[in-house]
Amino acid sequence: MDVANFIKYILQGTVYTLGVTAVALPSGLILGTLFALLAVYGGKTLKQVMSLYSTVMRGIPPIVLLLILYFVMSGEINLSPFWAGSISLGIISSAYQMEIVRGAILSVSAGQMMAARAIGLTRMQAIINIILPQTLRNAIAPWSNEAAIIIKDSSLVYALGVPEILRRAQLIGASSGSYLPAYLTAALIYFALVFASGRLLGLLEKKLEIPANP
Amino acid sequence: MKKGLILLVLVILITGSLLGCQPEAPLEQTSNPPSSPSKLDSINTAGKIMVGTSADYPPYESVDESGKYIGFDIELMAAIAEGMGVKLEWVDMPFDSLIAAVQENKIDLSISCFNYSEERDQQVDFSEAYYTSKDAFLVAKGFSGTIAKPEDVVTLKVGVQSGTVQDDWLTSNLIDTGLLKEENLSRYERVDQAALDLQAGRVDVLMLDEVPAKNLVSQYEGFNIVLSAELSTGPLNIVLPDGDVALKAEIDKQIKALQDSGKIEELAQKYFSE
Amino acid sequence: MPQPILTIKKLTKIYGNNVIFRDIDLTVAEGDTIVIIGPSGTGKSTLLRCINLLTHPDGGEIWLDADEITAKGANEDLVRQHIGMVFQNFLLFNHLTALDNVKLGLTKVKHMNDKAAEAKAFEELKRVGLSDRAHHYPGQLSGGQQQRVAIARALAMDPRIMLFDEPTSALDPELIGEVLEVMRDLSKSGMTMLVVTHEMGFAREVADRIVFMEKGNIVEEGSPDDLFYRPKFERTREFLWKITELYGKKENADGPSAAEDTESNQPAAEENA
Repeated sequence: MDVANFIKYILQGTVYTLGVTAVALPSGLILGTLFALLAVYGGKTLKQVMSLYSTVMRGIPPIVLLLILYFVMSGEINLSPFWAGSISLGIISSAYQMEIVRGAILSVSAGQMMAARAIGLTRMQAIINIILPQTLRNAIAPWSNEAAIIIKDSSLVYALGVPEILRRAQLIGASSGSYLPAYLTAALIYFALVFASGRLLGLLEKKLEIPANP
Repeated sequence: MKKGLILLVLVILITGSLLGCQPEAPLEQTSNPPSSPSKLDSINTAGKIMVGTSADYPPYESVDESGKYIGFDIELMAAIAEGMGVKLEWVDMPFDSLIAAVQENKIDLSISCFNYSEERDQQVDFSEAYYTSKDAFLVAKGFSGTIAKPEDVVTLKVGVQSGTVQDDWLTSNLIDTGLLKEENLSRYERVDQAALDLQAGRVDVLMLDEVPAKNLVSQYEGFNIVLSAELSTGPLNIVLPDGDVALKAEIDKQIKALQDSGKIEELAQKYFSE
Repeated sequence: MPQPILTIKKLTKIYGNNVIFRDIDLTVAEGDTIVIIGPSGTGKSTLLRCINLLTHPDGGEIWLDADEITAKGANEDLVRQHIGMVFQNFLLFNHLTALDNVKLGLTKVKHMNDKAAEAKAFEELKRVGLSDRAHHYPGQLSGGQQQRVAIARALAMDPRIMLFDEPTSALDPELIGEVLEVMRDLSKSGMTMLVVTHEMGFAREVADRIVFMEKGNIVEEGSPDDLFYRPKFERTREFLWKITELYGKKENADGPSAAEDTESNQPAAEENA
């Protein structure tokens, strides 16, 4: 057994893991931020709809949505396994990120909005210039959690046949009989990715920190 | 309360429409109606056939370190594609996803050590058998009991790969009849997990196809087949889209040719000889 | 008589069953500094928020110059540009420097170009004595400095009138003086101001008129001398007596340095009433 080839084969799956994460995390962020704004500043009906969206989406196991999107709805939209997986994770993540951003908006005091309106900013201007810049800063720490979850959940696309890290570990484990090294390699790669993403977001948080006296 | 219910229904509808969902017939009825054009045409037009397999089941199907597909089913399918004069494209998928993938036209057909079952036949079609295999009862080093007939396993902890014909057999013959307690049957998503648990002593005996069982015997020191029988497993078939008569005829023709030429026997020797 | 800048007619605000104030009438002439005093929970802050439409009144009218801003279809955002507001808790934008806090309204609301906005913002900071803190963030400023930046932020919009909602209540005693000094200068420069405060020294010294509010009503209004020395109502006298005692005690407790730094806000009411 050539160890270098063995590891290289599993490592090649990282492309898919990163790809799924690169689609799901930002699309979840954009949708989540939008939904959070609707949930906080929208009317009564919008608030209820958003709250139910969040409850429902967070209640669905990602794999279920993924299988629905890929198999059940193949008549309406023909998505590749990669896109079906990325979009499903993005949709579910949008519900979680909505809660993150919603919490962050609420932690920015209502006074900030009032002060912005008091100098004549419209609600939209206040949201864009005052609320979001502070909100998104507050959201960075919880995001490293969400990033870690998506990186790990991206392994679910194996169910659709995307040859990502976990599926490759299974395959090479099955063909070589060396399951333990295969899964350990996969675990190490996931760990490295999660660790690196946490570090990157940590650096970003530090960089964007608002200066204050101790 | 009532208002909450109405809202819930509303959200489900909204969510559904958001995802582009139309009210749809249940899964089994969404497969190709018999009148639809045959897949064979599109395969010939494209010049390639997309075949699904779960490449974690050596020696039938697996990958080598370069990612190349190898195994009995793999070479057999390559020979079939060659006979049809089309290129072969493999799509790896977990076993549980393969039937759905054929039904939903994600792949043209699937070869992955499938056995005919009535349940599956309602959802997809099967080719003629290309090979016949047996079930094996596999134990690890240190096993002291005796398994002279399949029913002898009821006092033991039994492992099986979920969704396989062996799982069906155990469920309907031992669990449903009350002979084997539900908690004494462990269902594994993959055979490698089952093998690891057998080695660790978490289960006493595994029931699985004889060929991969022999393969595990050569991989794990002390593994031993104590009983082989033709119980659940019968002949192996290729899974085809429901009602596609033309494609089935073509695949059956290719299988017959490979049986007649001795190619299948040759492959069995290559992959299954101990 | 010239047109007043602000005219309030029969203004009423009700939360549920709770009448915050009812039928308030008030006029503010150009250049006037009006100080509103009264016990907590009397509706003074809500009155200010109604005036710049952060809260909507349930009845009555508010006129800014010749326009009724409570009229249907009035452009609220436009109205607020002309009414500066300073809050008890400063409410600076936490993620922006002092300069950017002042500049934001100029670029986003007044659509000034960046350079002109920056120059004007800097001028306003200079006016409140903080040009050397232009690039500090709110978290790096003292409470008094933050409140001065907030005043500069409101002033930058060139408002017709400035509203101050207890601008020194959240400050440590030693920081109150610097804010009151800025407000005093502002009043002297002719800015029209409506101030809710408990700083009696400031009220007596700076106000053209003092309004005493209690339980949602204006009890009495008049010149500082009238209210402090010749109040018409017993309630006015009682309130002034109480607040003097309260603030007097607080200052004693905080020691002489605090008393020095703060305005000498013990009204003569104590001795003279």
